[in-house]
Amino acid sequence: MRLSTSPTRRAMLLAALLSGTAFLAAGPAAAATVAESFVDENIRKGLDILRDKKLTTAQRRDQFETLLLGLVDVRRIGLFTLGQYRRTAPPEDVEAFLNAFKNYATAAYQSYFAKYTNQTLKVTGSTQRTPTDFIVQTLLSDPNSNQQPAEVDFRVRTDTGKPVLVDVAYQGIWLSLEERDQFVAFLGQNNGNVRTLIAHLSELAVNLGKPAQ
Amino acid sequence: MGFGSDMRGVRGLLFGLVALALAGCATRPPSPDALAANDPYEQTNRDMLKFNGKIDKYFVIPTVGVYFILVPEGGRRGVHNFLGNLSLPTIFVNDMLQGELSRAGKSMWRLVINSTVGVGGFFDPASKIGVPGHGEDFGQTLAVWGVEEGPYLVLPFFGPSNPRDATGLVVDAAMDPTNQIPFKQHIWWAAGREYFTLLDLRAQTYQTIQGIQRSSVDYYSSLRSLYRQLRNEQIRNGRKQALDLPDF
Repeated sequence: MRLSTSPTRRAMLLAALLSGTAFLAAGPAAAATVAESFVDENIRKGLDILRDKKLTTAQRRDQFETLLLGLVDVRRIGLFTLGQYRRTAPPEDVEAFLNAFKNYATAAYQSYFAKYTNQTLKVTGSTQRTPTDFIVQTLLSDPNSNQQPAEVDFRVRTDTGKPVLVDVAYQGIWLSLEERDQFVAFLGQNNGNVRTLIAHLSELAVNLGKPAQ
Repeated sequence: MGFGSDMRGVRGLLFGLVALALAGCATRPPSPDALAANDPYEQTNRDMLKFNGKIDKYFVIPTVGVYFILVPEGGRRGVHNFLGNLSLPTIFVNDMLQGELSRAGKSMWRLVINSTVGVGGFFDPASKIGVPGHGEDFGQTLAVWGVEEGPYLVLPFFGPSNPRDATGLVVDAAMDPTNQIPFKQHIWWAAGREYFTLLDLRAQTYQTIQGIQRSSVDYYSSLRSLYRQLRNEQIRNGRKQALDLPDF
């Protein structure tokens, strides 16, 4: 993993991160750098887990899930992906959906990241959308390939007191947007029945946990 | 009769099929969700995706398998480079039409370097000296000129599209210099190029598409979303759209 920031700077940023909301009081540039550091440190941890050949499949899955659930605001993403059905579905169905979505997202993210374990990720900068909404830009490259590095962006929100990941884009394609488009279309085809979507997501989560055919 | 008229004939037939398909669904009112997704022909598009899936399963994938067995990786890379080199004149024209002079210069450089040092385009020395490739097509040019994409379409054989991009396909084929050369065996050249383009594309995207199929809740709408996001990214030439994202 190549790092775009110096070790000293990273240590300072990590200290700021660990001190809770300290970065919120800092200026926009400092907050942006905290978002960059958040992505840099945690994506490296995730790739390290997926690369660790000493772990069993179950250990790898559990460690990755623990890391992921600490980084990603799954509830916020899940509510977003329901689109307009979030307002019309019974609250108990929405809660059941969020639980099914958590299992699906964990399995899907692990499946996506597992493809890139031999690649390096370099943070190249960030864009601030609002005082608490950042897009951290990175380049993903394969040291053994002549191909151009791929642009991977991470969307980080800081409005809950600590940085959380809410979306990731590969070459400009945002995962949460794609999930929302799918779920809304699926619900449209199934009379808005969120329970049908829950059943389908649960089945997919199980299948994604199995090796690809 | 040259390549141009052949290609126009084939494309014309395909668009005739699309028009017939759309006419067939004209009596079926679109659902509110389909209208909200700018996909008024959703049911016909879903049927077309199934048709394309059968062509893919029973014809394309088996031939891709044979291609992988018969042609080693270096050879497949050479075919990929050669096909990319053939597209460079069209990319250059579209760069110019979009006013992207710097990118047009790079396309011209790639054409000159790869056609000569790269032995007719089979090798890609241009990338090694810092002139990487990029894509451009007339669908993107129309977008840059302010033309709206129109409703989502799934074309037979070609897959996800819209009226703007479908028009771009026809115009790109018409402006391609190799389609204007009146070779005696022109139909074989045109058919061979289309065939190898399909093989190359499918070979490059095999794992990605398999991954999408495996993880999708609804494969059709997943493709629709991916296509639209990808095209928007291509139209912006990779420029960031951070301010356009929805809040959540």
